[in-house]
Amino acid sequence: MTTDVPTSLGAATVTRGRTGRGRGHRRRYQGREVAWAYAFVAPAIVLFAVMGVYTLFWGLQLSFVQWNGLTPTWLWVGLRNYTDLLWASPVFSPPVRAAALNTVWVMIAAPLLTVAISFPLALALNRARRFVGLLRSVYFVPYITTGIAVYLAWQYVLEPNGAINTLLGALGLGSLSQPQGWLGNPDTALPTLIVIMVWSAVPVATLLYLTGLQTIDPALTEAAQIDGASWWRVNLSVVWPLLRGITAVILLLNLRDALQGFQIFLIMTDGGPGDHTNVLGLQTYRLAFQSELAPTLGLASALGWMLFVAAVVVAFVNLRVTRER
Amino acid sequence: MAIRTAPAATEATAPPTAVPRRARRWPARVVLARTVIGLLLAGYAVVSLYPFLWMVSAAFKTQQEVIAGGHLVPRDPTLSTLVDTWNRLHFFDYFVNSLKVTGATTIGVVVIYSAASYAFAALHFPGRRALYRLFVALLFVPGVVTLLPVVLLENRLAILGTHLGLVLPFVNGTAPFAVLLLTNAFRAVPSELRDSARVDGAGELRIFTRVYLPLARPALVTIALLTAIPTWNEYLLTRVSLNDPATYTLPIALQALKSSQVVQYNSLMAGALIVVIPVIILFLAAQRYFVNGLTGAIKG
Repeated sequence: MTTDVPTSLGAATVTRGRTGRGRGHRRRYQGREVAWAYAFVAPAIVLFAVMGVYTLFWGLQLSFVQWNGLTPTWLWVGLRNYTDLLWASPVFSPPVRAAALNTVWVMIAAPLLTVAISFPLALALNRARRFVGLLRSVYFVPYITTGIAVYLAWQYVLEPNGAINTLLGALGLGSLSQPQGWLGNPDTALPTLIVIMVWSAVPVATLLYLTGLQTIDPALTEAAQIDGASWWRVNLSVVWPLLRGITAVILLLNLRDALQGFQIFLIMTDGGPGDHTNVLGLQTYRLAFQSELAPTLGLASALGWMLFVAAVVVAFVNLRVTRER
Repeated sequence: MAIRTAPAATEATAPPTAVPRRARRWPARVVLARTVIGLLLAGYAVVSLYPFLWMVSAAFKTQQEVIAGGHLVPRDPTLSTLVDTWNRLHFFDYFVNSLKVTGATTIGVVVIYSAASYAFAALHFPGRRALYRLFVALLFVPGVVTLLPVVLLENRLAILGTHLGLVLPFVNGTAPFAVLLLTNAFRAVPSELRDSARVDGAGELRIFTRVYLPLARPALVTIALLTAIPTWNEYLLTRVSLNDPATYTLPIALQALKSSQVVQYNSLMAGALIVVIPVIILFLAAQRYFVNGLTGAIKG
């Protein structure tokens, strides 16, 4: 599946031909070469068999049982874990539904905001004459440092007496400051987390757009300018459509993160205040690791598998939509 | 260092370009456009660095000053918070643990997947296409799905809580991206080089190490970076695996520091700085490879 992402993108933006694909298929296999090939892939396959296939298969099996991780036997419950999560159980389905709603918000807002910020940023960076290298490095820092260290720093500036509130006060916007802290107020917690997710996602998106911009033949944009099109017009009608493939990749990457990523939620709010920032990934984590001795491991696996299927569907739809154009 | 040069960039982008251009009678609109672009670029640079500025600031503040809040620039900067975090809070030990886990994972990824990718790109064998697709399709398996089974499996194998128990899933987790990137890089090597090396009597191992690996060096450095950086920052599996403080890596040490006490932001930010600095240095040193490799992966 993913192999198609780069190629469809390459076809859209890169004029150079693809290399190596489908070459030499008529050749017959040669014994020595085949033996060497298996020797080369063997370590990867052994590791994959144990850590990948086996765990995946086990996880799938687990999603049909009830288990607390300690008892020697599993209780086979068939599809009940799935139905319990979706609607049947009055205990397990309400938090899942609430988390799903939050996840949908993140899936809508984060990818769109990322594109809305990184596309103009890449356009500006592409036109800049000086400090391009320096700016590119600076812009990349949020991406490479993503993790608990940065999330704690954000927590620090978002505190009730933190830097953001102080800054707003100094700018005369004190009415906007959050006395409970930006993460303490149920109304601002989720939007704040989305902004931080976007902040971490903008670097890669900007880099991708910038690369795309550099492959566009300048003759195309110049021709449009000679025809009297304004800067806005050129970018919207010429550049933006040419970079559609890149936009698709950016949307896909960010949708995937929005659907499955929950580290930032676990570290910064742990789903709170109340359950206002609980998302499906975090809910899965809670069922798997934070329910003490309750037999919820099967439920956790089931929810994880539903997320997996959702991710594949999203990827498929995304690829279809971009390919039809 | 990047932090200190950023404001210089702010001042320099807009005005100097605007003034001489005007002398050449550039239309006001162009000057305006350039100013807007300069401001946009400088503004986002500040946004990018914002939490780091406060991280550095807090790490050099004393306990009293950090509680009082206030200015970005510490009133009397002190190194004692950093020294204290490094020594008394054992961040040196955690640093070594992080280095061990990150180093082992990176070496594992580069060795295992460059070999596999060479086979996918250059050799002909039954099942090549299917295996390749299987590896790449893994890109869609969410971490949450495998997290629990991996923990249960490692518990059974008695490697849960060890560094090996972290390295093995980390290496496997990088497989899709590494195979995708390295196979593409090896495919770009002209097959004529391989053919002539074979005519000269070189075996597969020799062709791989002497012809393909050197030619794919940028991709190898890229995948090493793209493995090392997330591994250095990894939090989830580490958090549910490690129990013994002696095995803690930096991110978990930070978590423990945060939950062990009333939050002292100066030592917390000093710890965060210790986590972040090596990553930034690594990135600045190898940036060229990073950017070129990432773009290469997408151009495919």
